[in-house]
Amino acid sequence: MIGVVSYLTFFLTMAGIMAIITLGLNLQWGYTGLFNGGVVAFFGAGAYGTMILGGPAEPGQFGGFGLPYLVALGGGILLAAALAWVVGLLTLRLRHDYLAISTFGVAVALESLARNSQWLTGGARGMRGFPRPFEAVIESNFLFGVVFLLIVLAVLALVWWGIERLVHSPFGRALRAIREDETAARALGKSPTRLRLWSLVIGAAIMGAGGGLYVSYTAFVSPQDLLPILTFQIWAMLIVGGAGNNRGAVLGAVLIWGAWTLSGFALTRLVPDSMQLDAGSIQYILIGTLIVSMLLWRPEGLLPERISNPRNTTAGKAAPTSNKE
Amino acid sequence: MKRHILGLAGASALAIGLQTGAALAQDCSVNVGTLYPTSVDWGRPIAETALWVGEMINEAGGVDGCDVNMILRDDQNDGRVGVDAARALVDIDQVQLLIGTVSSGITIPILTSVTAPAGVMQMSCCSSSTRLTEIAASGEARGLWFRTFATADVQAAVAAMLARDAGIESITVVYKNDDWGQDIGRMAAAAFEAVGIEVHASIALNDAQPSYRAEATQALRDQPGALYLALYPTEGISFVREWLGLGGTSVMIGANSLRSDDFRTTVGLANLGDFVGTDTSSPRVPSAEAFVDAYAAHFGSAPSGPGLANSFDAAAIALLAYHAAGRDATGTEIAAQVPRVTDPDGEAIPATVEGFAQAMAILSEGGSVSYQGATGAVTFDANGNVSAPAVSWVFDDSGMAEQSYISLEEVSGFMASIN
Repeated sequence: MIGVVSYLTFFLTMAGIMAIITLGLNLQWGYTGLFNGGVVAFFGAGAYGTMILGGPAEPGQFGGFGLPYLVALGGGILLAAALAWVVGLLTLRLRHDYLAISTFGVAVALESLARNSQWLTGGARGMRGFPRPFEAVIESNFLFGVVFLLIVLAVLALVWWGIERLVHSPFGRALRAIREDETAARALGKSPTRLRLWSLVIGAAIMGAGGGLYVSYTAFVSPQDLLPILTFQIWAMLIVGGAGNNRGAVLGAVLIWGAWTLSGFALTRLVPDSMQLDAGSIQYILIGTLIVSMLLWRPEGLLPERISNPRNTTAGKAAPTSNKE
Repeated sequence: MKRHILGLAGASALAIGLQTGAALAQDCSVNVGTLYPTSVDWGRPIAETALWVGEMINEAGGVDGCDVNMILRDDQNDGRVGVDAARALVDIDQVQLLIGTVSSGITIPILTSVTAPAGVMQMSCCSSSTRLTEIAASGEARGLWFRTFATADVQAAVAAMLARDAGIESITVVYKNDDWGQDIGRMAAAAFEAVGIEVHASIALNDAQPSYRAEATQALRDQPGALYLALYPTEGISFVREWLGLGGTSVMIGANSLRSDDFRTTVGLANLGDFVGTDTSSPRVPSAEAFVDAYAAHFGSAPSGPGLANSFDAAAIALLAYHAAGRDATGTEIAAQVPRVTDPDGEAIPATVEGFAQAMAILSEGGSVSYQGATGAVTFDANGNVSAPAVSWVFDDSGMAEQSYISLEEVSGFMASIN
């Protein structure tokens, strides 16, 4: 039984990290309408940034500063934010599919950079040996899992609270205004370019936090972690859960990650021995079917966006705050 | 959301309950985790081979009298999915032995975050990264890590040996741009230089490019006397065709990853007359031929894909060590028994059902055996790396033929001389 609890702890840890990244994408896409096709780039910047700052020194390689955990994690987040800032300055004039393609390109370029810059990232061999937080003081592997889950949940709660505060502030309403009608927002005195940049940078920092947490669990990062499949997974989570709704984003992350992993677990028990070799392929079919049927059945997601504020407060506050933006 | 999670927990608990019920009905069984990229074309036969070893061990009497239950999971060639699957195998199926996986980018996080912390032994067929040696040397792997993939340095050294003996004066290294390719490309370049061969350039090939014309043109610029190819068949075929089409030399030395019928037939035997390959196996013992025959009899075709012999040996050595350690052994105890299975002074046993039965009898009595596997009589060093003799091979009408055999002593002596 302790095994099941231990596995569920781990499952929730990974789902929690996915949920954090999905919340970052929700800020960008759900609230601002930015089509970020390079989620994995910001995840990767956070992961590599954390590893370079907090990992052990390697001969012939930059980094390995062995900084305290929070400094390393913070550095990873800053690196992701800085990457988003540069990318944003260059690409935010682009809309929708153009932005998606250029951010996707950034992600592919970053993967290529990580694979080839051996002096910086260890190349395809990756980087290893990150001291996992508290592992030195916690004897039990199980207890370490629980503590790490608590860390992830704490970050998730912080991100949730932050985004909720943000989107219910005048800033958040301005983001939604840009998403709905950029010209109208501009006419009201908002600066869409600046707001979009902020949304991209904050969302990317959140994704970077996800990457930093991931690397501090596995103690290893390699270009294999930067493949575009992660971007696809996170988008599936947000779309299935419901864009523009933080509850939806978190629910989608847990559901899709569950479908992705628990289906493999279930299949090893359900398919006959003669078909064990095909279980992997069956799993892909199941995941694909689930996503497609969700899109057909509930294209707005399980928990769609709700503009719940009474009309007078929303409309009434929007105008006076325009001076502040 | 909470209800959903509780539901999942309930469902998993139910599944486990059902499974335990089924297990109790038999005498006893031992769960062994097997993690390979079964949904990837080249991963599937590797997994198939490992499962086949499980069947053979069961025929020979099972691990310490218990049926081996090989639980196969797919890592989808994705680190996060692979770590999750390993975690489920270790936590829920309570395996003490995990066989897998191929890609070092997945094997390493599993080793550092799942198996080593949980005290589970891990044996891989094909992970090649030199990072794994560092992890083992640092103590992070807690002596639980083994691989039957001979690290790239042996092949790189043998390539230099062949090039020197063939009188090649200059060479260009072309490698697959992944962890394995970067390692072997770097080591091969160093080895060539150590024996006085001029290395013009080291060129990386990225995966899945429609054409490698630019890279072939770049290699041609230096007019090298030979090419060293550390490539997989897919990009190998594509690159070599461009290269020969542009008029490049047909003198080529290849790593064992090119040991493929696809490569031979698609590039064409006529173009491969000057090709020589390296490998780290030793078809000197009857068991290696027995492996090829048994494989052909079982699967209906000869084992020609990469990693099959390694996958066979990984599973066989790990399961024999499990038998020696007993059905209730922990991962650490199983790992401690590996030297008794690969003891050069032990009784030589072939990799057949009868051989396994014989080995298990000897191991049960406290003796030690020298397992003569599909990749030869391998032994492991302190970091779980295999040391093995080498062969050179060429393509011929019937497939691939061994050209020369380089004993373990020769390989070690040569490697010491160039380092």
